[in-house]
Amino acid sequence: MPKWGMVIDLEKCTGCQACTTACSMENNTVPGESWQDVLFYQDGEYPSSSFNWLPRPCMQCENPSCVHVCPTKATYITDDGVVLIDWDKCIGCKYCMIACPYGVRFYTDEKPLLEPDVKNVFASDRGEAQSWAPPFQNPNEDWSKGIGIQPDGVVSKCTFCYHKISKAPEGVSDLDPRDPELVEYVPACVRTCAPEARYFGDLDNPDSHVNKLIGDKRGVRLKDETGNKPKVYYLTGEGGSIPAFTDRTKSS
Amino acid sequence: MSEQPFGLNRRRFLQVSGATGVLAGSGLTLTSLKPREALAKQNPDARPWGSKDTKITKSICHQCPARCGIDVYTTNGRVHGIYGTIDHPISNGRLCPKGHLGTYLLYDPDRFKGPMRRTNPEKGRDVDPGFVPISWDEALDLVAERLNNLRKKNESHRFAVLYGRGWGASDAGLQGTFGQLYGSPNIAIGHSSICSDGSMIAKELTDGNQSYNAYDYDHTNYILNFGAGFLEAFRPYNNNMQVWGRIRTKSPKTRVTTVDVRMSTTMAASDRALMIKPGTDGAFALAIAHVMLTEGLWNREFAGDFRDGRNQFRAGETISPDNFEERWVKDMARWWNEEVKDRTPAWAAEITTLPEQTILEVAREFGSTRPAIALFERGPTAHSNGAYNGMAIHALNALTGALFAEGGLFYQMGPPYGDLPVNADDYMDDHARTMQERISTGEVPRVDMKGTDKWPMVKNMQQEIGPNSLAADPYKLDTIMFYLNNPIWTSPNPQVWEDAMRELFVIDTSPYPGETAMFADLVLPDHTYLERLQDAPTYPFQGFPMTQIRTPAIKPLHDTKVYGDTLIEIGKRIEGPMGDYYKALDNTENVLRHLAKGFENNPGDNGVNSFESWKEKGVWYRKPYHWRQIRGEFYEWDGERYSKQMSEAEVAEKLIKTPSGKFELVSTKLTNHADYINRELGIPRQRAGMIQWLAPVYTGEGNLHLVTPKLALHAEGRGANLPQAQAYIQPIAGGRGNIYLEIHPKTARDHGIRNGDKVRLKSNIGEITATARYSPGQRPDVLILPMELGHWAQGRWAKNQGPGHSGELTENKSDAITGLASYYSAMVSIERA
Repeated sequence: MPKWGMVIDLEKCTGCQACTTACSMENNTVPGESWQDVLFYQDGEYPSSSFNWLPRPCMQCENPSCVHVCPTKATYITDDGVVLIDWDKCIGCKYCMIACPYGVRFYTDEKPLLEPDVKNVFASDRGEAQSWAPPFQNPNEDWSKGIGIQPDGVVSKCTFCYHKISKAPEGVSDLDPRDPELVEYVPACVRTCAPEARYFGDLDNPDSHVNKLIGDKRGVRLKDETGNKPKVYYLTGEGGSIPAFTDRTKSS
Repeated sequence: MSEQPFGLNRRRFLQVSGATGVLAGSGLTLTSLKPREALAKQNPDARPWGSKDTKITKSICHQCPARCGIDVYTTNGRVHGIYGTIDHPISNGRLCPKGHLGTYLLYDPDRFKGPMRRTNPEKGRDVDPGFVPISWDEALDLVAERLNNLRKKNESHRFAVLYGRGWGASDAGLQGTFGQLYGSPNIAIGHSSICSDGSMIAKELTDGNQSYNAYDYDHTNYILNFGAGFLEAFRPYNNNMQVWGRIRTKSPKTRVTTVDVRMSTTMAASDRALMIKPGTDGAFALAIAHVMLTEGLWNREFAGDFRDGRNQFRAGETISPDNFEERWVKDMARWWNEEVKDRTPAWAAEITTLPEQTILEVAREFGSTRPAIALFERGPTAHSNGAYNGMAIHALNALTGALFAEGGLFYQMGPPYGDLPVNADDYMDDHARTMQERISTGEVPRVDMKGTDKWPMVKNMQQEIGPNSLAADPYKLDTIMFYLNNPIWTSPNPQVWEDAMRELFVIDTSPYPGETAMFADLVLPDHTYLERLQDAPTYPFQGFPMTQIRTPAIKPLHDTKVYGDTLIEIGKRIEGPMGDYYKALDNTENVLRHLAKGFENNPGDNGVNSFESWKEKGVWYRKPYHWRQIRGEFYEWDGERYSKQMSEAEVAEKLIKTPSGKFELVSTKLTNHADYINRELGIPRQRAGMIQWLAPVYTGEGNLHLVTPKLALHAEGRGANLPQAQAYIQPIAGGRGNIYLEIHPKTARDHGIRNGDKVRLKSNIGEITATARYSPGQRPDVLILPMELGHWAQGRWAKNQGPGHSGELTENKSDAITGLASYYSAMVSIERA
């Protein structure tokens, strides 16, 4: 069983947000509900200002605080290490959203970012079972994994495109989008990333390219001090802007 | 260029999977098993997406000029996904943020559902056109009747077609013959003068190629970027980002200096961000040239050298022309003596507001790094001095020897299309021949006055058409048709176009209810791109010839017609031989089949040799580019390598196409128009051709520069009705569902404006409102308002969203030489609303 992880090279990332749009279309999220977001930070003042950005998917923690707090066990970790939500069990209490240190969980019934609300324009005829009905629905729906159009009143989040990665051929060390035979199993954000700033592979396989990158380029994790043990690593290169709290000898 | 995949190669897969026993009992031999076959053995129905009914169609994205190959995923007649095509040379399996949103463009609930006729004769912003559906036959007959009548009255020149994104031979490519057969100089007029003609014409004036460049970014070690939104809007955006990932992690890392008028993602990602005063890029470029010459950093093999090998370029001192032996540049001594010798970093610092030391450092870096590219397009050229700014920047490419070199820049080869089944010359009637004569003698000028004494050197002057028709100078149009063109929104001072379009019979072919459509008398809606069959040869990319094709992913959702067919169907209804010509063309698919015949004897690198294989792969291409300059000598490709050395005459014919056959530091063409330049720009006649500093003339009124960039999610004006695009737009000011006016806090406070205040922007032609956002990283003398929102039509999400439209503050002024609208020269004032 692989332990899927992601590596994001911030030196290559151009802040284009293709990961965000690819994710939102693949997973039919409403505008602004960015399971995969890019956060922008402006610092300093002309003529010496700086401008940074941080792409932020779900960190898919090994020790996820969201799972610990969920009162109905709706959110859980799969055997291959992905944190998912079972919409049949989720009661929409939002405790997990508060517990998550990374702000990567979303509640369906928020105020719409844009008017008119897409949920009214593409209204569902399935009542509460489907919060909206975009005309381009991802054909793979699986409520037990939080995949598909969200029903009303549940929390949702990045699944690492579980409907894709879970079908990958066994024993693959990395899901490389350049490989025509693997591209269909690659998470949307990794597949589309034009500067190839994202990598996806098996963290349990010492031969995997993701492990090589984490080792050679000193991958760091966000808010490692929380003990959540994310499986998303960042490479900061020369332009690094992520503080590295990681003690590599103790983590994972 | 392509690397081996790093992750699972077949051998590793087999090693790993063999070790874990996945294949045990499968009965297959290890050497023949591919991962997907292995998967199929495990679970025949397993597909990452949808079901076995999921179909992938090859198409080409439509949201910018780049033409990325896309895989369109369709299940049960519904498109539900778009990803880059893995074996397409531009997209390489990747997309920019816009690419994925194409599905929304298909399912836009505000699309026109079929042809419609206006019933309300009154036209205006908030006036309901009263559109009623009509059949295609009725609609096309209505157009043909008007056009036949104009011909009978000898007024065929009063029919104009204006187009935006011309994709290829099966749409915009058909328009030229339509004009020839119908008898109008105004079919068709492109939008290039509101796009980036400044760059094309600056290149024509210096190296003889009226074109954008192809670039070899992968092998360059320095990019000096003048205002190109390389990581936001510069084409091909998606491929630029792929390039970025490589050049910024290769050894040596390609160094990037970006000069722009605002902080952006491109600026932030570069090694140096130089925020220059708008319109002064030419001064900066000339100072770099000055340093490269005085410090001996120019490329002697390309530009030439002093006969005694000793550098005699000293600031403020002239040289003797006899002492300098030129190679591929012309008039070096004169350029130095009359211009560059005084263009010191200290001089440029005053004009550009950049520190002298920084200018010096950048010049030394650029001059001492090879290969190096000086990159520019619209930013420095959308000003009154755009031609000279562009020429000064392009001169740096000559000084560093980047032209036609590895790691440099060159031009684009075209595809080997087959001939159409009929030749338009055989179908001209007396009227067409008479009009051809009247047009060629200048008796009937183009309505935009291109090629007249008013605009002698331009390619197009679309921005003049509305005002000219309104003023009946040179004449009033009667009927005007638009293809992918929305001038009532995109033109500078578009308010005038509203008045102009009230008088005309307007035909719009957009699938979307844009501003121009709201003034239309007839709507002949095109398919959206995922429904189209349409060719799209590449824009300048890497030089090698390439042409793509869109194939419909699904049947048209509505009663629409692809524009090429609309044009052909109108043509069939014109009386006389013109109608016969279009009957012979029949339809766009027939046109495309004939074009594809050219591949039979020129199979592409991917095996495409027919119409069918072209559709299957989505692209025909054949590498490499055929010419290369190596250490000051030019060579042609012999099929295996660049071995055939070219004579000066061959270089002049094929590559450096100026009258002199050299890169002209004093342009022959401009010199030939010295009277015009003297009259329009006040430059002494004898200096007209010189690449020189000319101070910009700002338009509007007020003391703040209005900067109106295009953002990464700007899908050529159609992004405004994409809810997802609007949700993520304008990262720098934190825009979410809005476009903010970025303002330096000090400037804001001076005007009593708090962060988040509603503000009013005023120029001499109009005023708009916006929401101010403090942005301390920006220049205090600029206001940044991206051109994106402020639509008063275009669909429910676009309409009346966000701030006003920047175009309504932008006076209609253009560079006299290139004709490029001076979009970036506007000055405005600001106050709390």
